[in-house]
Amino acid sequence: MAKNAKQRTDIQIAICGSAGDGTIAAGDILKQAMAKAGYNVIAFDVYPPEIRGFGKCIARARITSEQVYSLKSESDCLVSLDDSHAIPHVPEVCKYGTVIYEDTPMSEMAEGTHISSHLASAQLPYGVAFREISERVTSSARSRNIVAVGYLAGLYDMPAEIFHQVIGRKFSGKPKELTDSVLSAFDAGFQTGAETFRLHFDRIGASRSKSKQSDLVMMSGNAATVRGCLDAGIDTFFGYPITPATTIMEMLAREMPKRGARLLQTEDEISAIAATLGAGYAGARAATATSGPGLALMSEMMGLGAMAELPAVAFVSQRGGPSTGMPTKTEQSDLNLAVFGVAGDGQRIILAPTNVEGCYKCAGKAFEMAEKYQTPVIVLLDLYLSNRYEAVELPVENPFSENCSKPVKKKPGKTKYSRFKLTSDGISPRAIPGDEDCMHTVTGLEHNEQGRPNDQPEIHQIMSAKRHEKLLTAVKHPGITISKRFGDKGKVDVGILGWGSTFGEILEAMIEARKEGIRCSAMKVVMLSPLPLGPIHAFMDDCGEVLVPELNYEAQFAALVTGATGRPVHRLNRVTGTPMRVREILAEIRRLAGQTEMIAAE
Amino acid sequence: MAKTEHYVIIGNGVAGSEAALHLRQRDQDSRITMVTASKLLSINRYVLPKIFSSSADWRDFLLHPPEFYDQQRISVRRNTWVTHVEPEQKRLILRHRESLSYTKLLIASGGGRYIPESLSEFRDLMLKFGSYEEARSVSNALPKGGHIAMLGGDMIGLDLARSLVHDGYKVTVVGDDYLFWPHHVDQEEKQKFVAVLQGMGIDVRSGIGVTSIEEGARNKPARHIALDNKETIDADVVLSFCGLMPSVAFMAGAGVDIERGVLVNPQLQSTDENIWAAGDVCQIWSPEENQYRFFYGWENVKKMGEIAALNMTGGHESISTFQDEKLIATKTGQIDSPFWQYG
Repeated sequence: MAKNAKQRTDIQIAICGSAGDGTIAAGDILKQAMAKAGYNVIAFDVYPPEIRGFGKCIARARITSEQVYSLKSESDCLVSLDDSHAIPHVPEVCKYGTVIYEDTPMSEMAEGTHISSHLASAQLPYGVAFREISERVTSSARSRNIVAVGYLAGLYDMPAEIFHQVIGRKFSGKPKELTDSVLSAFDAGFQTGAETFRLHFDRIGASRSKSKQSDLVMMSGNAATVRGCLDAGIDTFFGYPITPATTIMEMLAREMPKRGARLLQTEDEISAIAATLGAGYAGARAATATSGPGLALMSEMMGLGAMAELPAVAFVSQRGGPSTGMPTKTEQSDLNLAVFGVAGDGQRIILAPTNVEGCYKCAGKAFEMAEKYQTPVIVLLDLYLSNRYEAVELPVENPFSENCSKPVKKKPGKTKYSRFKLTSDGISPRAIPGDEDCMHTVTGLEHNEQGRPNDQPEIHQIMSAKRHEKLLTAVKHPGITISKRFGDKGKVDVGILGWGSTFGEILEAMIEARKEGIRCSAMKVVMLSPLPLGPIHAFMDDCGEVLVPELNYEAQFAALVTGATGRPVHRLNRVTGTPMRVREILAEIRRLAGQTEMIAAE
Repeated sequence: MAKTEHYVIIGNGVAGSEAALHLRQRDQDSRITMVTASKLLSINRYVLPKIFSSSADWRDFLLHPPEFYDQQRISVRRNTWVTHVEPEQKRLILRHRESLSYTKLLIASGGGRYIPESLSEFRDLMLKFGSYEEARSVSNALPKGGHIAMLGGDMIGLDLARSLVHDGYKVTVVGDDYLFWPHHVDQEEKQKFVAVLQGMGIDVRSGIGVTSIEEGARNKPARHIALDNKETIDADVVLSFCGLMPSVAFMAGAGVDIERGVLVNPQLQSTDENIWAAGDVCQIWSPEENQYRFFYGWENVKKMGEIAALNMTGGHESISTFQDEKLIATKTGQIDSPFWQYG
C-alpha cells in the first residue's frame, strides 16, 4: 500500500449487525448521503431470511470518486453493531483497514466474544461508546446505529450537512422531536469521530463532477427496474410477492396509481402471468415480477405466450435454489429455466442487465421488445443486482418508445385479417380485441395464420420457424446494448464472457489483469435468448482462452455458449450465496494466461 | 498432556514486547496475549523525536511489523485496558467488560507522565509526548521553527529537546526539582549541566516556578506562561516532563504488594507467584541499596523483559541491580546519559 493518503476516493464500508439494530437503515443513510455528495456508490445489503428474529444484516457500500463496477472483496472499514455477527467478517477487512465497534457493552463478556479479540495485527481498532453516546443525547440506546453513521462521517471527513439532509428526508412525516433526536445522535457520533486520532490512510477526497445533462440518482436494481417500467408507460402489473422481487411490486404499488395505472396482487404466480398475458393481449403494457420458484410456476403460461404471440414482461430476480433454496442469497441458477423452461419449442427473449443502470434500460426496452416481437420477455435479475445500490445517471429524455406494435394496415375494402400472417420478418400485424374488422382467434393450440387450430405437419413446421425467426432481429433492437466488449482490442490471451450481476466483478478483474500486463478482454452479454452469436463468435475468435464465471453450479451460461457456438470455454462457478470475488476471477485469468503461454511455448 | 500456558502481558512497550519475544522463543506451544490501551502495535517510543524531522507515519515507529505478531502467534489486544486483576481466579477484566484468563501474568504497563500538583490546574493546556498519537499531536501543533516550552526537564524531555533544537526549533526548559530526572545531581553539578544545555542551544530557566499558563493572545503563540520571577514565555506548545508515575491503578485490590510501583524481587516476581512485573512499572529489590527502586532507560527495561520471560518459563535469573547512572558532559559540549542509550 502506498504510504501517502490516497488521492482518489475508494473506500468500502461494511456495517454489520443483528436484525433490529438498524444496520440496513444506517447503510442506507450512508450510501444516500455519499451519492448526494457526488460520489459513485455501489452498495449491497445482506439480510436474514427470517421475517422476524435476530439474524445477521450487513450493509456494504463502496464509495469512489471514479467509476467502478463491483464491490471489493475486502472492505476498508467494518462497523460492528453486533459482535456475534460481525466477528466472522473481520478477516474481510483489508490490511490497515479499520474495525469500529461498541466498547461499552451492556453486560460482562466471556473471553473471545468481543470483536477486538479477533482483529489481525495489521487491522486498526476503533472502540466507540455507541450505546453511551446514544443514551446521553437521546435518552435511549436505540440510536446506536445513527451514532455509528455519525462516527463514520466524522472519522472519514464526510460532509455532515448532506447527512442531515438525508436523515431529514428519511424521517420526513415523523414527529419533529424524533427527527431532532436522530440528528442529535448523528451529531454526537460525528463529533466523536472527528475528534478521533486517525491512524488509517484512507481519506474521502474530492467527489466527481456531476454531469450537466442528467441526474445522478442513487437507486437499487429493483428501483431502477421500476423506474424503467414507469418511464416505459407500464399500464398494468400483476404479481405475487417473493424475495427478492417483492420490492418491485411494492414500489410499483405506490407509483402506478398516481399515473392512472393499475396493479393487482394475485393469488399466485400462475394467475399473475396469466393476467399479464391477458392484459398484453388486450393492448396494455403489462408486467409481472417473481423469482425462480415463481418462474417455475409460470412456465406453462409462458408457453401460451410464445404460442399465442402475446406481449408480456416478466422480471425474474434469481436467488439460491432449487426449490425454496436460499431466499436471501444471490445466485444465477435460473438461466436454464428462463431459456428452456417451457413445453415445446417456446423460445422467448431473455435480457440480463449487468448493473443498476442496465436494469432501467432493460426494463423499459423489455416492453418495446415484447410489443415489437409479440412474445414474452424475461428480464433476468438476481438478488445481488436487485438489492445493489448504485449512483446512476438516468437520461433526461425518456428513451423508450410509446408503442412498438406493428400496426394493421387497413386497405380499402374488406380484407381478411390474419393475426398470425406470415411476413418477411416473421412479425404479424397486431390487432387488439375490439379493433374494427380484426376479429381473430387466439389459442394455445398450434394454429394457422388466422389463428384457427391446425396440427398439419407443414403448418407446425412453418409456424415454429416463424416464432423463432422473428426473434432473430431482436439482437439488433435499437437503443439497448445487447453485448459489449471491453479491454484490449484484437487478439488477447484471455477473454471473459459474463452475464448478469457478475459482470461488474469480471470487469474489475479484467482491469487488474491488464495492469499486470495480461492481454485481456471481457464481453458482457445482455441478451441471452436469442444469443448475439455474431459478436460472441468474433470475441471468441480473438481469445486464446475464454473464461465464463457465473454464480451457479451447472455452468449454465457456459453450457449455453458452448452449445450455441460449438466451442469450449473454461468454467468458473461458485454457489456460495454471495457475489463472485474479483480475486477469484483474477486468479483464474492469471492461470489461463500462464497456460496460454505454455501452450504457445510448446 | 502438559498444560498449555497462557501468558498475558499488560503493556506493549519495550519491556512487554521483549518479554513476548522471549516467551515465544522458550515456549512454542503457549498462548501469548498482550493488552494495550494503544490502537497501535508496539512503538519504539525512544525514537519518537524523529517525528519532527520526517514525514514518517506510525508504521515507521513500529518495533516489529504486523506480520511479526502473526508469525509469532502473539495476540495484541489493542485499544483497551485492564480495569482490575483477580489473581485468585487468574483472570483480568478489560475495559469493555471482557474477562481474560491467564496462567502467568506480566505487568509491563510502564508509567504515565507525572504532573506535579503545582501544574495540575494547567493540565488541559499542556500536551503529552508518550505515545505516537501524542507525539503527532505535538508535531501538528508546532509550526516549523516554532517554540516549545518544557516544564520539569527530565531526561526524557531533554532527549526530545536536543532533537528539536537540532531540527531548528526553539526550546525553553523551565525546571528545578525534576531537572535531569532520574539522575540525582547536586546543585553544583546541576549548574554545570545547565551550562552545557545552554551551550547546546536549549534555553534553560533553572530554579524558577510556573505561576500560570494561559491561552496565547490573538496572533501570538498558542500558550502564554508566567513565571514566578515575573518573566513570561510565549510558546506554541507546552509539555510537562516531570518524571514518570507507574501505571498500577488497575492492581488496586489485587493483593499484590505495591509501593509506588509493583514490588518485585530481583527475579521480577511479585508477591503473587503467578505475577511478574517489568519496566518502568516495577520497583525492584536492590540488596546493595537495601530498598526497592526503579531502573529506567531502554537497556534496563529491555533486560527486564527478557529476564521476566526467562523466569516465567521456569528460569531463575536475577537482574543486575547495579547500574551506571552518571550524567556525562562530553568533550564536544554535549551531555550524555545511559538513559539515552538505545538501539
